[in-house]
Amino acid sequence: MNCQKFEDVVGDLARGQMMETYLRSTALSHLDDCVRCSQRLRDEQALLRGLHVLSLQMTTISAASEVETRLREAMRAGLVPPPALAKAHPRRAYWLAVAAAVVVLIGAIVAASWQWQSKGNESAPAQSAVTDESPTSNQPNKQAIVRNVETPKTAKPVVRRSRSTVATRRNPRAGETVANHASEIATDFIPLGNINSTTLQDGGTIVRVELPRSALVRFGLPVNMDRVDEKVKADVWMGVDGLAHAIRFVQ
Amino acid sequence: MNQREEWDDSELLRSMLTGDEDALVVLYRRRQAAIYRFAYQMSGCVSLAEDVTQEVFLFLMRDGQLFDPRRGSLSSFLLGVARNYVLRRLRSDHLLSPLSEDVASDEQVKEASPLDDLTRAESIESVRKAVLSLPERYREVVVLCELQEMSYAEAADVLECAIGTVRSRLHRARALLLNKLQPVRAEPTAAEVKSERCFA
Repeated sequence: MNCQKFEDVVGDLARGQMMETYLRSTALSHLDDCVRCSQRLRDEQALLRGLHVLSLQMTTISAASEVETRLREAMRAGLVPPPALAKAHPRRAYWLAVAAAVVVLIGAIVAASWQWQSKGNESAPAQSAVTDESPTSNQPNKQAIVRNVETPKTAKPVVRRSRSTVATRRNPRAGETVANHASEIATDFIPLGNINSTTLQDGGTIVRVELPRSALVRFGLPVNMDRVDEKVKADVWMGVDGLAHAIRFVQ
Repeated sequence: MNQREEWDDSELLRSMLTGDEDALVVLYRRRQAAIYRFAYQMSGCVSLAEDVTQEVFLFLMRDGQLFDPRRGSLSSFLLGVARNYVLRRLRSDHLLSPLSEDVASDEQVKEASPLDDLTRAESIESVRKAVLSLPERYREVVVLCELQEMSYAEAADVLECAIGTVRSRLHRARALLLNKLQPVRAEPTAAEVKSERCFA
């Protein structure tokens, strides 16, 4: 045993605590060779004696009787002051703070991912113009897939990538719909007949239909003559009056 | 009152929380000394120790339902509360400014070592001062384990830390105490250095 290892056991040795026989014997044999460690053990034993004497001196001390009197009076009068320091409170406050921090962190992550997703949708090359849902769209149509309602904002029959960013931000579920139709390209809605602002505000239902490709001509859109026999998909906006008010073509 | 003296701490606490003054008295008389001693040994101040003792029992009267017997004894619970009060008072009142553990103590005895004769009252007083000069985290383990003679497990329960932490702090605290109490021994000259220092 060297001095460093002796330092680890000197406390137990001074206290006379139980320890392994081999460890004890090597520690004691080390004392024969090392003056410093012998002195270290004597000092440790002296310190323990001093602490023990100090402990004995204080065994009889106790609080003054006035403390008991004051406590009894406080109990009789119900005069218990408001909480100043509770053992359990710091821990409770700590866990509350941790829970609040976790909630804030989760909120930040959700917000960041939501924003990132919105930006991703904005820059996606193939994105559909699926729109937000109207609470008035309660007219089921078994022949067609019922889509969300969108207010036609322009009558220009120009094929371009649609903008669904606003709708996506407003309604998280729209993001799912966009994902389902990420490969679709749609025109803006083209009005069918006369529609006014009141009609637009009434809401309605979007119905997916298939039309002959020649129908594109009627709306001034170019037609690929190689695929003239094929059908083309379109979303028809049905108003609450049951009439078709606008159409957009989907590729 | 006599019947209540046979009750355990939990029964007394339950009864006290229902407004039983006798239960408070029995519980107080049973536990106040340890709390008072702990506060006094930590602070060296009689008035602070009395204040803390009173605060601890007022806390028990007010928030005694916070005690959970499954998590430890009422004695440990009360000492934990007392510890919080003591540390709070020491920090706010600046009653004591513990010496840094790395700085040599000014209270080191330059001549005779208190360790040499611990039967003398002044030597005991030196030990008491040395304990009070320890940093709080070391002082509290010395008070609990050496002066209150609690086991490491009980001290760990009061301090809400691991038993290993208690052991290591106690080891460090004893080294600090020795450093404060023993006289500054003259460094041996080169001629005095013998080969008895062991490297085995």
